[in-house]
Amino acid sequence: MGKIKRYASFLFLPLFVVFTYVFMYVPIVVLVVYSFNKSSLPYMWTSFSVDWYRTLFYSSAILDAFKNSMLVAFGAVVLSLLMSVLLVVGLVELRIERLLTMFYGTLIFPEIVLGVSLLSIFVFFSVPLGIVTLIVGHTLFGLAYSVPIIYSRYKEINKYFIEASMDLGATPTQTFFRITLPMLKPALFVSGLLVFIISLDDFLIAFFCSSVSSQTLSLYIFSMLRSGVSPVVNALSTIMLLVTSVVVLVLSSINNRIRIF
Amino acid sequence: MRSIELKNITKSFGGELILHNFSVTIPSGIFFALLGPSGCGKTTILRIIAGLEKQDSGSIFLGKKNITQVPSNERTVNTVFQNYALFPHMNVFDNIAYPLRVKKVDTNTIEQKVLDTLKMVHLEQHIYKPIQFLSGGQQQRVALARAIISEPDVLLLDEPLAALDLGLREKMLIELKELQCKLGTTFVYVTHDQSEALTVAHQMAIMNNNGQIEQIGEPKEIYEFPRSRFVAKFVGTTNILSGKKIGSTIEIEKEGAFSLSISEERKEDGKELSISLRPEKIYITKDKLEGFSNVFVGTVISVVYQGRSTQYVVKLGKSGITVNVFEQNEEHFPKEVIEVGNLVNLYWQKENVVILKNEKI
Amino acid sequence: MKKSDLKSAIKKERFFFAMVPAVVWQGLFLFLPLLFLVVISFIKGWSYTGVHGGFTLENYTSLLDFSHLRVLFRSFFLALINTTVCLLVAFPVSYFISVKSRRWKNCLLFFLVVPFFTNFLVLVYSWFFILERNGVINKFLSLFGLGVSGPLLYNMPAVLLVMVYCYLPFMAMPIYSSLEKIDKSLLEASSDLGANFRQTFFKVVLPMAFSGIRTGVFLVFVPSFGEFVIPTLIGKGEPFLVGSLVSYYFTQSLSPSFGAAFTSISCVFLVIVAFLWFVLLKLIFTKNLRGSDNGKN
Repeated sequence: MGKIKRYASFLFLPLFVVFTYVFMYVPIVVLVVYSFNKSSLPYMWTSFSVDWYRTLFYSSAILDAFKNSMLVAFGAVVLSLLMSVLLVVGLVELRIERLLTMFYGTLIFPEIVLGVSLLSIFVFFSVPLGIVTLIVGHTLFGLAYSVPIIYSRYKEINKYFIEASMDLGATPTQTFFRITLPMLKPALFVSGLLVFIISLDDFLIAFFCSSVSSQTLSLYIFSMLRSGVSPVVNALSTIMLLVTSVVVLVLSSINNRIRIF
Repeated sequence: MRSIELKNITKSFGGELILHNFSVTIPSGIFFALLGPSGCGKTTILRIIAGLEKQDSGSIFLGKKNITQVPSNERTVNTVFQNYALFPHMNVFDNIAYPLRVKKVDTNTIEQKVLDTLKMVHLEQHIYKPIQFLSGGQQQRVALARAIISEPDVLLLDEPLAALDLGLREKMLIELKELQCKLGTTFVYVTHDQSEALTVAHQMAIMNNNGQIEQIGEPKEIYEFPRSRFVAKFVGTTNILSGKKIGSTIEIEKEGAFSLSISEERKEDGKELSISLRPEKIYITKDKLEGFSNVFVGTVISVVYQGRSTQYVVKLGKSGITVNVFEQNEEHFPKEVIEVGNLVNLYWQKENVVILKNEKI
Repeated sequence: MKKSDLKSAIKKERFFFAMVPAVVWQGLFLFLPLLFLVVISFIKGWSYTGVHGGFTLENYTSLLDFSHLRVLFRSFFLALINTTVCLLVAFPVSYFISVKSRRWKNCLLFFLVVPFFTNFLVLVYSWFFILERNGVINKFLSLFGLGVSGPLLYNMPAVLLVMVYCYLPFMAMPIYSSLEKIDKSLLEASSDLGANFRQTFFKVVLPMAFSGIRTGVFLVFVPSFGEFVIPTLIGKGEPFLVGSLVSYYFTQSLSPSFGAAFTSISCVFLVIVAFLWFVLLKLIFTKNLRGSDNGKN
């Protein structure tokens, strides 16, 4: 009896893990599989078809949403990285690194609070809601993620390199562009990727701070969800999953070489 | 003119005073060594000369020019760092070319100069390798090349050989000396290893733990005529004996008197003195010899064979003071074999005794 | 010395100007809006068209009624259950990946991280697809004649299921991260010294995982408290949670004063609750460390 008990406890954990992963991926697998279903009725599998993907590329609503999402994401990435680098260098050189804590406050509040507060001031100052306000909101979150990553990498840059550069005759500006910036590259790349994916994943900020003309992919899926199941959404979701997987793959391969997380 | 003069440099770190009114003059075009124990402030001095550290007060002169307020990137002073500080995202060529690139020198000249400099440091291969693939010695040469390519007036070296193993270290020391002679640049070499300093330097300064220079001069002069107990013990090993001056002798308590060669009228009779006697200046034998001014008798308590020489520790008969003696192993089959427990005579000449000045007993 | 004074002043300016954009951005878009929110919560009847009244506490008093408190507690319990289930599921999984698995570690990690970075609407949709009236499960059940006439959605268990599904990676990642920091040879040493699994677990693993658990709980509880998308889509859709109510005030009823006041109330409630929760967790864990003094906690 004791032997059985031992085998049971030995198998318990792996089984539990397997079950959890099954739980995590059955919906996803079903989603992907049915994106290739010819019929539009979700419960019947008829035949394999990529019709829905074709519909995807011809749907102007989706293409618009895609364009907007990309615009916002790139805008957020560029602004976040630019401001983060300047901020980190400025704070560290001025020795007021304490100010960095004000950038971690973004993640303490529930996102909905930030969403409605941004909405409030936008309306109060008569700022038209749209791509710009979305970029503003997403950059706010982008900073919260890119600042710590770039900061930790900047601190890691041994000050000896900066000193050597100055010692050998380079001005501070030359040192920044020839030494500091290249050495920050991995952090910039990882932060950029992170902010990009966070922007694509966002829903709440878009929900509050966008307008009819600036639909993002998240908002599109949300509106489609309201009206029920549709295989086009399956196709879109599959593509988004693919993009996510690629990004995760890239991030984890970098992570193996230079530990960021 | 490539001389360095520091005048009354004072520097504190976090409340701790490292240097106080420190002054030194380093002549132009020589290999100058700054020797001292860890933490004495020698690296700080180097960094102040380079402009990487700002002194609290005092001034720095390069030749006739006052460079006290000149920022580090405008000083014609380059540094070879202890950990080399080679830029990891560049290869060998780019690292060495860096000083010229920031001065906007044209590409062709850069290429030629890099190749020439590589030849000077004996590193003609591996030109385009990323620096991570180089060995310690190779990285050291790249650091050196990078520092000399822009032909600075002064080259500062901060314990550059510390990370290398012994054989490589000795080889690099000789190469450094040859390089300095060839370039004529003033080298300022910081180390805590006295044998390194003695090997390469034209002139050296010994610093103590309080950030002051104990003695400055040529290596031979410092080794043979140390002025203080600190210098005598830091540079090489020595025996230090204390006693009372009586006429032209020094009387060691319980042991007896031995004569000194006093060339100047120093302290009055009865005053306390300390002397330094290097172990290699003592002749150890069981026999009785003539022709030596001084002799002590003692028992051998330890014999250590060290290849080139043998080190004996002898306990003097009357006082129990222990004395170190080095004997060069000149013969394969020496006439006399001295073992532990033997009664021996220690002979030495009074001219080989150095009276230590500034002694506080 | 005037020239060099000027030079060093400009140099200092350079760094000052460098950090200004980000600081201004943060102040303008984080602190100002939050402050603004607090301010309008005290203004009577502020609508998007302008100020109509003066300073008042009316917004707060009118919201402190039973139905609103019920909303707060409902959200609290939802978040609590969600967090607890996530913790119970995520911890063994993270433990397995970090400590036990060797060959499949990277693989398992990859498949854990992908949902973390996936747009959560995609995740919600995937369950929606399955649970819907015409969805897979219902069709499967109808094969056995167990088909339900209505959808399997629109009830609390479904909402909870999808919430756990979406938030699981948020709990698992921090726990995994803190478990990774444990030197595995410590575990070996512990068993070598005669401790059985239970002792090793409670005296070595759990204390070190505590910081990860704390982060995970924070990352799950706070957002779940304000969650309204999943309940709206999977649940009934009426504003019975904090998030839905706030959204309603701001977007549908266009009474941002009430919205702001309610948001403030919810935040205060959240802070109190979160604080109590952490204290409770800490008490549980320190209670288990009978005898061993762990200075880290």
